[in-house]
Amino acid sequence: MTSEAKTHAIDISAMQRDNRILRLEDETCTLQVKDLRLSYGEKEALHGIDMTIPKNRVTAFIGPSGCGKSTLLRCFNRMNDLVDSCNITGQILMDDQNIYDRSVDVAELRRRVGMVFQKPNPFPKSIYENVAYGLRIQGIKKKRVIDDTVEWALRSAALWDEVKDRLHESALGMSGGQQQRLVIARTIAVKPEVLLLDEPASALDPISTLKIEELIHELKKDFTIVIVTHNMQQAARVSDYTAFMYMGDLIEFGVTDTLFTNPSKKQTEDYITGRYG
Amino acid sequence: MNFEDNYSTHISQQFNEELEQIRTQLLTMGGIVERQVHDAVEALLTGDADLAEKSRRTDQQTNEMELMIDEQCTTIIARRQPAASDLRLITAISKATSDLERIGDEASRICRHAIDLADEGTGQRGYQEVRHIGTLVREMVKDVLTAFARSDTELAYRVAKQDKAVDQEYRTAMRSLITYMMEDPRAISSSLNVIWVLRSLERIGDHACNMAEHLVYLVSGTDVRHASLKTMKAAVEQGDDSPAE
Repeated sequence: MTSEAKTHAIDISAMQRDNRILRLEDETCTLQVKDLRLSYGEKEALHGIDMTIPKNRVTAFIGPSGCGKSTLLRCFNRMNDLVDSCNITGQILMDDQNIYDRSVDVAELRRRVGMVFQKPNPFPKSIYENVAYGLRIQGIKKKRVIDDTVEWALRSAALWDEVKDRLHESALGMSGGQQQRLVIARTIAVKPEVLLLDEPASALDPISTLKIEELIHELKKDFTIVIVTHNMQQAARVSDYTAFMYMGDLIEFGVTDTLFTNPSKKQTEDYITGRYG
Repeated sequence: MNFEDNYSTHISQQFNEELEQIRTQLLTMGGIVERQVHDAVEALLTGDADLAEKSRRTDQQTNEMELMIDEQCTTIIARRQPAASDLRLITAISKATSDLERIGDEASRICRHAIDLADEGTGQRGYQEVRHIGTLVREMVKDVLTAFARSDTELAYRVAKQDKAVDQEYRTAMRSLITYMMEDPRAISSSLNVIWVLRSLERIGDHACNMAEHLVYLVSGTDVRHASLKTMKAAVEQGDDSPAE
């Protein structure tokens, strides 16, 4: 082989690496869902879900309204415990422990698995206090530690430059997009392992949405992210893996690029191409 | 999944119409190009310079259609953000349009040589090969367009297979013409014209083969470019066996 040909070959493999072809079997698992069934009273909303959520990746749940995607997301930090009629069987394993075990401390679980909702919900406190809140709850009192963590969280949420001069002003005076990034900063301040995002950008304008999407891309270096979205283009843009759900079943779960170009199930194809009635 | 019906089932009727429209336009462009190739070969074989000139002028139409279809593909991508089979349809049509335009260019080239050869009025050495390869290649263009119209990957596979036969015939014809030129240097000029014609026909076969590959990608989702016939066959069979459940 000539040296020129060698160089050519090296370039191509470098490009292929850049294209990073993902495979679920190569991933480290953060959450493992085993035969998860959930019912609200008599009505079963999730019919035996099996899946793994890969570490340091963005996994998107898509599907029509009522398909169970938000319900499944809420199972990951036991938010459904707050619903009286809710009954859950099956397992969700995190570090080989079922998060539904009696021995699990739910408050600690929710620290490890943080959640951000569709509508920004900052506390009626200052920007600083919003981010510091979780740390204070944890019993951290050293001002230096809190200051550093607040700055780190706000920087990680791409908000620091916008708010550093008004940290002690009310969070309610911020724009919707800023409030949502503040809520993300508040969530990551307690250093969770998993970040659950339930339609985090659906109430935001396109520019704020792009900022949140960019933030998701940055945050996956440190966190495992699971996002529920109605916006399929958003799922295609931000996620590494996508799960398509329909009427309480996981229809297809795979690499986002494949799912959006060549899905293996007709139901997925019909949904992502706008053929659902 | 029935691919033919697949473009009329979106919730958005307007999107259905847009996809149907570019499909129809691709086939219309294909019809024009098919005629170009037919006329170019006929003009050469019959020494009809007028027909060659007329066919060459048609190329302008082909070029305009390429621009129009490409613009529509871009508009659909921008407005609809197509996914899955819709996205594959847009990419396949855009690439197939480009191949059709190149086939038109090659037909134009054949016409130019047909005019030169008609002017020279020399012997018809190599014409039999042109007739033979021309017939094979015209069949390929016709078949690949039919395959696109019916989303028929089996037929697309046969087109790709036929390209191998065309390549073989082309090599044989070249050897024969080279021998002839060595034997009779006075025939070099006219033989070169015939060689260029054969070369253009062989290229038309390649473009038809490319289109067949785009169709297999469109229907099966497997990219079979630069792959062996065996791989293509496997993709075709896989597409037949496992329609999305």
